Amino acid sequence: MLLSVLVTGLAIGALYASTALAFNVMYSTSKVLSVATGHLCMLGGVFGAYFIQTLGLPIIVGFVGALMVGVIAGYLMELITVRRIINRSDEHLWLLSTLALATMIQQSVALWWGTEPRPFPRVIPQEFGAGMADQKYWLPVVALIVIAIGLELFYRLTMYGKVFIAVSEDAFAARARGVPTNRIRAASYMIAGLIGALAGFAAGQLTFAYFALGHVLTLMGFIAIAVGGLGSNLGAVVGGLLLGVLSSLVSYWFGGEYQNTIAIGVLIIILIVRPEGLFGSKRVRHV
Amino acid sequence: MRAKLARRSVLGLSLMLGASFIAPAWADDAKPIRIGWLSSLTGPLSSAAIAENIGVQFAVDEINAAGGIDGRKLELVTRDTMGDPTKAVNFAQQLAFNEKVDFVIGPVNSGESLAATPILARAGIPQIVIGTVDELTNPKLYPRAFRAIATNSQWVKGANDYVLDKLKLNKIAIIGDTTGYGTATVKQAEAMLKERGVTPVYSVLIDANKADLTDEIGKAKAAGAEVIMTWSAATGLLGRILNTRGEMGWDVPVVGHPALMGTPIRDLLNKPEYWDNTYASGYASMTIDENGKFPERTQQLMDAVKPKLGGKIDFTFWWIALGYDAVKILEHAIKKAGSTDPAAVQKALEETQGLELVYTTYSWGPDDRNGFPDEDIVINLANTFTDGGFKKAPHQ
Repeated sequence: MLLSVLVTGLAIGALYASTALAFNVMYSTSKVLSVATGHLCMLGGVFGAYFIQTLGLPIIVGFVGALMVGVIAGYLMELITVRRIINRSDEHLWLLSTLALATMIQQSVALWWGTEPRPFPRVIPQEFGAGMADQKYWLPVVALIVIAIGLELFYRLTMYGKVFIAVSEDAFAARARGVPTNRIRAASYMIAGLIGALAGFAAGQLTFAYFALGHVLTLMGFIAIAVGGLGSNLGAVVGGLLLGVLSSLVSYWFGGEYQNTIAIGVLIIILIVRPEGLFGSKRVRHV
Repeated sequence: MRAKLARRSVLGLSLMLGASFIAPAWADDAKPIRIGWLSSLTGPLSSAAIAENIGVQFAVDEINAAGGIDGRKLELVTRDTMGDPTKAVNFAQQLAFNEKVDFVIGPVNSGESLAATPILARAGIPQIVIGTVDELTNPKLYPRAFRAIATNSQWVKGANDYVLDKLKLNKIAIIGDTTGYGTATVKQAEAMLKERGVTPVYSVLIDANKADLTDEIGKAKAAGAEVIMTWSAATGLLGRILNTRGEMGWDVPVVGHPALMGTPIRDLLNKPEYWDNTYASGYASMTIDENGKFPERTQQLMDAVKPKLGGKIDFTFWWIALGYDAVKILEHAIKKAGSTDPAAVQKALEETQGLELVYTTYSWGPDDRNGFPDEDIVINLANTFTDGGFKKAPHQ
């Protein structure tokens, strides 16, 4: 039975880790931690179910459609809640603007999609009853691997990736060298939308297509990057998987009522002991 | 001439004063009876409220079409609480002190009701309670709050009695969610089983969004459970319980909360047969008999409402019946009291015995604010949904 707890923990942890990677991608170019990050995943699940289950589109079309919704949502997030705010103010007003967007997305989906969870279709033909080999457990893990490797290759091998890193390290210097930072930031939000939608789609059978998932995933994704180290993709993956497994074990040993309390308790302890997270770099302020 | 004018002025003034004394009485008789309706029409808990609203609106239209109550029309003042207790409190205050309604129906959800009922009690407004949590009624604290729906204890007792007396099973696993409702009801269910000399072999609270329940259902099985009892209204959690039981090939009965019968569950099941052997607390009025017929009063309301629903009822009909009855209870109370005076209405309801409406036959008393009788709780077979009702579970 412990095996099933670990498998479940890894599956849900993979979803948290993917959400954390989406956080990181947006953070790298804007230094914004968007409250609507989890909602990108929710949109992937809901629109995947809508395209395939409700409209009856082929799975591949539904999959691409869900990813497109994520990309558009990511772009709109940057355009509406981030661009003007960070260009005009150094204060953390993006916290309010992204919270407002998250609430609007959630309410809109609730009104349109309904407030009850709805089923997510089988992505690959497979009989139910396969136990731990069921696709609902390994699809989120596969999605995480694809996202993590894809991001690494993107950053290392492509010119855009190097520009992302340049903007991440010093946006002012990058702009001075002619890098269109607004466009790069918008591109990073579209990539985050793609990541979120892919993760939400892959985990749809595990979570159902449910309007209220966004806030939970935002919280868990945030804990994952805080544990792993803000800005570190390795940290996001390790933090997410750790959080998923830990939540499952806590629920298994102590019961569901302690699950979130202990998970957030661990976050606080790690932040006290190692404020930069497990894989984060210490910030040194030059004087 | 001046004396004549003075006499006319005095006469005119007297007529005006007289008219002003007469006018309020006349106006009071003709002015509409205002019913506040606190309903979570949007938001995460809207399914029940939307259906109840159909019943409430239908009853109001029906009464108004027949000329109102003692010649006074009903006016519904609806406020959408969105399932939020804070909004419910604000709207309860608004209805009581700004809108000055005569009565209030709702709020729909127990959490909202726990917050709003004390305010309505302080304002002295008669309230029809449609939340199930037991603490919502109390003749001393809330003397004018009368409950129309069954209580949570009645649901739990009905399910416990069915498991122990009809299925003859006493190795019980209890599963609830980590919400206030789930936590409190699991404790209540454990206490009520203890009174019957039974201790559950396994009891657990689960986060309603937990994605996989293999370990919990596995533990229940390992503990030797012969039946799973669920106390949660979270559709996702209930769907996962049934899916996990099905995929484990563990064919024990699942008995519990009425949400187990809800149609959204059907859509979440990996296979339709995972809904077999599942039973939930339901109502005699919504139970189809051996001949496939509903009780007469239920059928009459169904026939009347169906055209408005496009000829099809695809949600549990008791929500509509409860909304309809809530208005009809007020009609009964006003007629019996002969006015809308709160104290008279309270007395009229306290003296009400055997009021036959659609959802049930109600009785209240000076020390009893729960109108739903125990004997009208029936255990239904979950996967037999037809026109908003269900078949009776076996062995009853």
